[in-house]
Amino acid sequence: MTQPKVIALFPEASYGAALNCVGIAQQLRSLGARPVFICHPGFRGVFAEYGFPEYPLPTLGSEGQTDWTDFINRHQDAFRQTPLEQIKSYIGPTWDAIVDTAIAAEEPLRQLLAQLKPAAIVLDNVVMFPAIANAGVPWVRIISCAETELPDAAVPPYLSGCRGEPGPDWMLFAEKYQKAVAPAHRRMNAFLAECGLKARPSGEFLESSPFLNLLLSPDAVRFEREKPLDPATHVYLNGCVRQEAPYPLPAFATHRDAALILVSFGSLGAMDVSMIKRMIGVFEDMPYRFIVNVGPWRDDYARVPDNVFLESWFPQPSVVEQASLFIHHGGNNSFCEALYYGVPSLIMPYCWDGHDNARRAQDVGVGQRIDRYEWTDAVLKTAVASLLDDAVMRQRLRDNAKLMKQSHGVAVAAKAIVDLL
Amino acid sequence: MDADTKKIKHRHVELAQKILDVVTEKGMSRGEHLPEQALASRCNVSRTPIRKALQILADRLIVTAEPEGGYLLAIDPASFPGLEDEQQPAEETELYNAILRDLSAGRIGDSQTVASLQRRYDASRSAVQNALIKLSEDNLAERAPGQQWLIKQFAISGDAVAKSIEYRLACEPLALTLPGFRRDASAITSLRHSMDILRGMTETGFDQKLFERTDFDFHMLIARSCGNPFMSEALVSHHRRRRSSQPPVHVNAFRLMQSNTEHMQILEQIERGQMDLASDLMRVHIQLSHSQRPRLAGRGVPPVFRVVG
Repeated sequence: MTQPKVIALFPEASYGAALNCVGIAQQLRSLGARPVFICHPGFRGVFAEYGFPEYPLPTLGSEGQTDWTDFINRHQDAFRQTPLEQIKSYIGPTWDAIVDTAIAAEEPLRQLLAQLKPAAIVLDNVVMFPAIANAGVPWVRIISCAETELPDAAVPPYLSGCRGEPGPDWMLFAEKYQKAVAPAHRRMNAFLAECGLKARPSGEFLESSPFLNLLLSPDAVRFEREKPLDPATHVYLNGCVRQEAPYPLPAFATHRDAALILVSFGSLGAMDVSMIKRMIGVFEDMPYRFIVNVGPWRDDYARVPDNVFLESWFPQPSVVEQASLFIHHGGNNSFCEALYYGVPSLIMPYCWDGHDNARRAQDVGVGQRIDRYEWTDAVLKTAVASLLDDAVMRQRLRDNAKLMKQSHGVAVAAKAIVDLL
Repeated sequence: MDADTKKIKHRHVELAQKILDVVTEKGMSRGEHLPEQALASRCNVSRTPIRKALQILADRLIVTAEPEGGYLLAIDPASFPGLEDEQQPAEETELYNAILRDLSAGRIGDSQTVASLQRRYDASRSAVQNALIKLSEDNLAERAPGQQWLIKQFAISGDAVAKSIEYRLACEPLALTLPGFRRDASAITSLRHSMDILRGMTETGFDQKLFERTDFDFHMLIARSCGNPFMSEALVSHHRRRRSSQPPVHVNAFRLMQSNTEHMQILEQIERGQMDLASDLMRVHIQLSHSQRPRLAGRGVPPVFRVVG
């Protein structure tokens, strides 16, 4: 009997990438492969719960542990800024941290890959790990951020939140971005050279895989590229949603038959308890039911209105499926889940590709964008009501959702990976 | 349907479930006769309510009436996840749920009087009293001095699940190693039958309700069999309370299937008399059931934090 082929998946330490890979791994398992997860130490247990073996990399840099309160304060300040302002306060330091992680992970990752002997490696990250390129087996890049991560003259700069038409704002952002990330980029290129890999062009930290690249970019939001991606090595996934446990809706104290609205800004977004409390204060007067993801800060909410239910962890796709509106931060996983189930998005971005997805949702008519902080009660109420009442948008989303479900993104992704073996 | 009739129907559904528990525990199979008198004795009621409860089971095609009187079991009880109470919940059940929900959301305090709850829910005095008695039976409320009732906030707080796991880790493995532990062979056989059925299911068709029933029955069996009445009482009370009050943990089917296998492995060691091994497996099982997810995750977020102060 032949042993199933081991496929090592290595998602970055974010829920979006991790859970996107879970969907593909579920499908790989059904095709007879043996998916295993290489994960960051904090993600231990997340993949085992879905039945996958997991191999955490050793805790990196634990001697220089970050102060929890300081981290939260710094990030909360940065999240109030525009994408242009965030280049200095958030994007630059984040790239520094990402490059640090890649350098620190190299040796343990190389050892782990030698031990696992995978037939293929799947990387869902924004930075290159040379041990993967040097492992001697096919490797797959998953682009689970917005499509803007792959640059093109007709695509707005990554993380800029700019409109789809080129303009001086594109140029301004790109110049400032290149300058801010240059030190991290130099360190990355030096590191790549040490590992025998070619340098990356300015501003880029990860190359396309010569074998296979999977883009989590549904048709409805896709850009028309000036230089189309090579279809032999680039596969667009029109929806890629994992199989999850059902979510029985909780009993609400009031408005039991009203429209359900899901509010989730991811674990980083849940940090701003006062902002979410302010939103809940507005929800209290609205004739809808709200499920609000408050992350680990549940006990900070002393009083919750009758039409609001707080959650800390839940199988998000199973809730999105039952919602009439999804208020989120524009994380690509959340955005794609909303599209997959035909649910309009109200996006309140605060960082990274959330800005790009918020702009894109508005431009292609699958949702609206409002500033995360510069809103009044009336603005929030109007945005919610108008999205719920927009029958044309709902029909467009329903038609698109039907196509997304028919396209079986996870199956397409898994088959493309297995075909490499 | 008036409130009293609803309440009576609700009691009959509860009794019908009790009958199913008895036949499951006895390992009865499809086609077997259900003796009314024996059931009445086991359930501590007269034959009249037993007949009403059997009629409910007949209406749901779980039993069939015999031409010459009496009922036959029409299903395999091991594969039956439990009865749904199709009656509108009695007012006290709705109040029970509303009190827990509102306490958890901070809409009411943990110290209440019958009058204050009557005002909040616009309910009759007897309905509030009944709801409080039910909460008290489930160890979720207790009488405080004067007219006060204290609702146990800790049992439904954000970290109730983590604290419950901590408590179970201390007690359940220990219960398996107590010198008075007695194996209940027929209950084990019947449980194993249900677990075998679960084991034959796929991830997509997994019966979560049947799993929940066997999970509860399994942990209750350990509690009841431990041979120490104090330990037994504490664990039984804890399992009942967590079933009625803890929020769902939203575990995916794969983990539930794995959990079912762990239950079977523990039962196997109990049957072999390898109680230390069963105890170790129980410790592992409880730890694996405690999902620990990162509190904060994102690009550039460090894996380790230092909490100052």
